This record gives sequence, structure tokens and C-alpha cells, in this order.
Amino acid sequence: MKTVRGLSTTVLILLTLSLGAAPSDAAPEGQMTWAVHISLAPTWFDPAETSGIITPFMVLYALHDALVKPMPGNPTAPGLAESWTASPDGLVYEFVLRKGVRFHNGEPVTAEDVKFSFERYRGAAYKPLKESVAAIETPDPSRVRIRLKRPWPDFMTFYMTAGASWIVPKKYVEKVGDEGFKKAPIGAGPYKFVSFTPGVELVLEAFDQYWRKPPSVKRLVLRAIPDEATRLAALKRGEVDIAYAIRGALAEDLRRTPGLTLKPNVGQATFWVYFTDQWDPRSPWHDRRVRLAASYAIDRQAINQAETLGYSKITWSIIPSSFEFYWQPPGHAYDPIKAKQLLTEAGYPNGFGAGDYFCDAAISNVGEPVVNYLNAAGIRVKLRPIERAAFFKGYAEKKFKGLIQGGSGAFGNAATRIEAFVAAGGTYVYGSYADIDGLFLEQATELDPKRREATLHRIQQLIHDKVLVAPIWLNAGISGVGPRVEESGIGVIAGYAFSAPYEDVKLKAK
Amino acid sequence: MWRFLVGRVLQTLLSLLVVVSIVFFLTRLSGNPIHLLLDVNATERDQEILTHHLGLDRPLPVQYGLYVKNVALGDFGNSILTRRPVTEHIWERLSATVELGLVAMVMSVLIGVPLGVYSAVRRGSLLDSGARIFAVLGQSMPTFWLGLMLILFFGVILGVLPAGGRGGITHLILPAFTLGYFTSAAILRLTRSAMLEVLGSDYIKFARLKGLHEQVVLWKHGLKNALLPVVTFAVMLFVQFLGGAVVTETVFAWPGLGRLILESITTRDYPIVQAGVLVLSALYLTGNLLVDVLYSYLNPRIRRARA
Repeated sequence: MKTVRGLSTTVLILLTLSLGAAPSDAAPEGQMTWAVHISLAPTWFDPAETSGIITPFMVLYALHDALVKPMPGNPTAPGLAESWTASPDGLVYEFVLRKGVRFHNGEPVTAEDVKFSFERYRGAAYKPLKESVAAIETPDPSRVRIRLKRPWPDFMTFYMTAGASWIVPKKYVEKVGDEGFKKAPIGAGPYKFVSFTPGVELVLEAFDQYWRKPPSVKRLVLRAIPDEATRLAALKRGEVDIAYAIRGALAEDLRRTPGLTLKPNVGQATFWVYFTDQWDPRSPWHDRRVRLAASYAIDRQAINQAETLGYSKITWSIIPSSFEFYWQPPGHAYDPIKAKQLLTEAGYPNGFGAGDYFCDAAISNVGEPVVNYLNAAGIRVKLRPIERAAFFKGYAEKKFKGLIQGGSGAFGNAATRIEAFVAAGGTYVYGSYADIDGLFLEQATELDPKRREATLHRIQQLIHDKVLVAPIWLNAGISGVGPRVEESGIGVIAGYAFSAPYEDVKLKAK
Repeated sequence: MWRFLVGRVLQTLLSLLVVVSIVFFLTRLSGNPIHLLLDVNATERDQEILTHHLGLDRPLPVQYGLYVKNVALGDFGNSILTRRPVTEHIWERLSATVELGLVAMVMSVLIGVPLGVYSAVRRGSLLDSGARIFAVLGQSMPTFWLGLMLILFFGVILGVLPAGGRGGITHLILPAFTLGYFTSAAILRLTRSAMLEVLGSDYIKFARLKGLHEQVVLWKHGLKNALLPVVTFAVMLFVQFLGGAVVTETVFAWPGLGRLILESITTRDYPIVQAGVLVLSALYLTGNLLVDVLYSYLNPRIRRARA
């Protein structure tokens, strides 16, 4: 008995010590908390590593600032650059920096920082930018001049939307190194880094010297809550103010809950099924009819109703309908009989084993029904959900075989999306077609907007004709907003999926 | 006794070495870590530099020797994603897991043992039937479903407990109950059957004949002997809680070790996966060792036999 008593005492002491050490979770005034659906990755603290997806901007809009960036009502709003000009021959771009802007550590933002940020950039637009830029000059501390090797009509789009124009402090990065920077990032954005607990939360505090205006909310917390039902419960309880990615039946529940607001936001995130083996003559996917069968086999409207309450738009393209140079393709409406017929014509009357269907785990709610529809048509695939950062890394490194559920919500235009996902050499391109590649190169130097538009339309038509992908939809992100929030920032920047600009988010006055 | 103890410690160390070796070779089989560490746009030169820096250009036995040495010194390297030392990640999460595991274990014991005792004493009664239903429910309900139902009822409908996250004691109640309910049911059944066996033994009859108070017979003479398998089970249970609470940790957004390992598997942060597996194995083996020692200590017959 003595032993048992001793054991109990030890357990109680340990329990008391352990509970005593736990931090208090009381929400201070002026704090806005987000329940985010994914684990935040430190790679997103550094603009130089911005991949071709929208997620890093969830952090970039808070910590950092760009020369030019999409803002409410203006997709190319002046940021750290108060103005810019392009030479008539399209070979020189000159930016004039805003005066008096400082980083969080008090150092001024200078032309040297802009040059340094560009030179260390290795994100999604690394290749086209490095291949096109001849020199970057700093005639004085408030002016930056970028010289191109040849005219490139999309230079500003690529420079602005893929992270390269987001500025980091040169002196600080050189002092702490790349890894040190990710541990304690310093930027020129509206919020300063306070702490980051991997897998738990990112805490930010208002930078009251932010040039645009001092933020309204003192403290922002981005908290990772992986389970969707728990995110909604936390929102209902008031533990968080905004919950991202609430879908299906839970979104219905959110809509019915008094005091909470359902925020559907049709952004610029398109999803599609990518056939990685279509260039392999031995693969069934090499046959266009098989790819077409897969496209006909998916009931997009039913998935849309079930998952996003019908808010997503079925646009039949990987390019968002709001993008410049968008071309509207005709669709492949759900037709399981036609899908079976096409498979039979292609020599697969009993279907075939198509291996894995890789998808971002955060979007497996779309992947699951797509896989079910494919299996129902006889295209036997197995869902392989992978956490976001690893999914995009594997996608970019061409590690996946079979089918990939592609997706991107990145800013840009039709050319940027084609560059990343369709044309040869793109970050996520497993293979390409010579005619598309030729047209893509042609449009890249075409200065006449009309002719360029025609070329980009032709490329999109070819993507459709070849069934290079089976587009799913233009996604509507559904978020929940709690009663304390006056301005969530969701949907304020056209096409952007998350809250921004953070200096505009507001809590209701008490 | 000492010979037994030294033997068990050596066995434990040997088992750990086997685990370290398995982890090392399995990781090498799963691909070149350089491809995971480097950026998409890295050049061949970058790969060469990093390969040399990490010592991956050395012969495999040399790499293995270095790995074992580093592990022995507690150096598990840095996380691929955060570049922070892996030990920092493990410690951060281990404390949360230990906290949750301890409370869950205490809850399991506090619920399971008294119910098990009374269920055995009042065999066939309404209380016994109720306790058995409780046990069947506990062992058949999926953890994630129970967790979500508890969040819905106590968090959303009643609004008395938080839905998730790590904070004060209120944050612990729901995840600890979710984690502990399944095992409290198992403890209940174990205590009940052990008590039924003990209560039929001669020394209990003798104690009653001596005129001892029933509560003394039950709690002092009966439970003391019936507790032996329960204590063993509870210690092993705690060790299992440390690595096996992934579902509970995910539902309640509890930043524990199980969730860290799961997240690291999905992000292919292998240094953390390796270290996590090693730490859990070490804890499991240490738990086993402790149970053996405790068993010998509590049961003189075993001690004498081993001596």
C-alpha cells in the first residue's frame, strides 16, 4: 500500500508541476485570432522562397512589404515604390522608393535592399526573372533600375506576384544568415514577428510606424487547428475570430449559427487533375480519349454543392476567369456513359489501374469525391493526401507518378499560370507540347497586346483540346467570421483567399 | 536482484541500439535526404556542398558510427523545415504530451479502479451492469468521434470548456478524458477480474472471519493484491499515451509529440521523425524496465524467483 501511495504522490506532484507550467490562454484586448487549416512553415517567412501558391502570402502581407502588390481595388498598387516607369522600348523599369519607410528594426528601406532581395530570390519565378533581367542598378538610395535583356511585357506581373518584389533588410539578413532570418524575420510590413511555435501558432504585433497606416489590431495570432470541426467549435466559442476552410455540412452549420458570418470568397484558386504520364507512350494517359474520359467522369456540380455549398465556379480552366488574357473553354459536363464509352474506344472496357492520386491534404475533401468518380468510371486510383509544403515540393521536384490534383491561387495573369504549370521548364511541369511551348515563347516577347492576347487564347484552346488537364473548378474558399470582427479582410483584395491587408482588419468597438 | 537489474538495463540498451540501427538504415533506404533539404532551384554544386557538409559522401559504416555517436550525445541534428535543433522541437512537444498523458492516466485510474472494485464486490448488481456498459462503450467508441462529441457538448452547447489548444487546466479536461476513457474502461475490466479472483481467496475469507471491517478487507487486503497487474498496465499505458495520442492531439489541436511526428512524416522532416521514434522507443523500453523492476519490488515471490 505504501508503494501505491508513494506512486500516487509522485504522480500528483508531477501533475501539479506540469499544470503549473502551462501558459495561460486568456485573450488580451486587441487580439485577433485566426484558426488556420494548415501548419505554417518558416519557409513562408522569407519572400525569397515564395513558391507558386498563394499560402505564403498569408504571412507575407503581415511581416513584409513589396515595391508593388495587389491591394484593395488595385491589383498593382504602389507599396514601397511610390511610382515606377517603363522605357518606351520596354527594356528598362525604374522604381522610385517611398521616403522615410523603415524596417521593423529601424533601418531605412533602401535601393540596396531591393537589389539584394531580387538577387537572393529563388522562388517560383526565379527562372524567367533571372533569364530576362540583365542588370539591376541603384543610381541612388531611393531609385532602382532594372534592365531587361529583351522586352518582356509580363515583367511587372512576374516581378510583382511571385515574391521577388517583396523586400528584406540586406544588413540584417547578411548578419543572421538565411536560417537566422527564418527564425526571427524582420520586414517592412504592418506587423512584427513576436514568436513562432511550429505546428501551434504564429504571433505578430502591430508595427505602429507602418507607412500606409498604423494597424488597428495590436496582436494577430495565426493558430494551426488541423481539424475542421474543431476550428468551427473554436469559432463558435469565441476562441478564434476567423476560421478558414470550413466546408460541406460544417459550412451549412456555420451558416445557421446566429452571430457567425459565412464568408464565401471566390478567389483565383483553380483546381485540376494533372495527368503526369500523358507524355509516356506506354501509359494509358497518353491517349487523349482516356484523359477526356476522366474529365467526363467527374460530377463537378455535385461536388461543388456538397463541399462549397455551390459557391465555387466551374470554369473549365486552370486560369482564373478574372485573370488578364483568360479564354473561356467549353466544358465536359458530367457524363459517365460517355466516359465509359471513351475508355472502351481507347481499349480499356474494364477500366485500368491508374496508381495514385496525389493531393494537398488540406484539399483532400475535393480529392476524395474526384477519386470516387474516377473509380466509378473504372479508372482505379488511390488517394494520396500529402501535407501542403511537402506536396508542392514533391510536385515541383517531379516526384509524383500517376495523377496529381494541381491547384494554385497565385496572383498573376494567364501567362504566369501557363508558365508555372503548362509550358516547358515551368516549376510544376512534367512534360510539355512543342506547339504550346512555341506559342508561349512567341507571346513572351510580343509587345502588341491584341496579338499577345490572341496567342495566349490559342494556348488555352490547345490546353483544352489536348485535355492536358481535367479542370475541376475555380474554388470558393469558405471562412467563418466571429461576432467581434468588424472587418475580416477576406475578399477585400480581389482574388485573394485570406485576410489582407492586415492593417485594415478591425475589431468592433466595445 | 542486482544481477537481474543489470541484466535488464543491458537488454534495454541493446534494444535501443537495434532501434537506432533500424531507424538509420530505413532512413537511408527512403531516398537521398539532400533532395529534401535543398530548394527546387538548387544546382548540382549546391548538392555537392551539402552532401559533403552532412558527411553523406563518406562510407556508410562511418556515417553509421557518427550517427550513433551523435545520438548518444543527444544531437539529432536540425529540422529540415525550421532549421532549429530537433531536440528543441522534441522537448517542446514532449512536455505537452507528458502533461496530457499524465492527466489521462490519472483519470483512467481514478475512474477505472473504484468502478472495477465496486463492480466486483456487487457482482450482478445494477452498478456492475452499469460499469460493464461503461467499459464496453469506452472500448468501442472511436476516439475522434468521442472527442468531437465532447467538444460539441461541453465546448459549444454548454460553453464551459475550451474546444482545443493548450492552455490552463480547463484545456486539459476534454482531451485527457477522451484519451483516458478507452483505457479507464480497460482498467475497470482488469480491476474487476483481479478483484473477483482475490475476493475468493482464503486470506480474504480469513480476514473477514477475523472480524475486520469490510472496507478494510476490500481496500487494504483485497485491492493491494489485485492492483499488481493494474499498476503494470497503468505504467505501460502512460508510455503508450506518449506516442499514441495522435488522434486526440489532432482533434483538440494539442501540440504534442504524436502530432509532431505525424506532421513531420507528412512534411518529410526526417530528422524529427527519427528523433521522435527514438525518443518514444527509449521511453517505451524504459517503461518496460520500470515495470519489471516495480513488479519484482511489489511481488516478493517474483523477486525471490529472479534472485
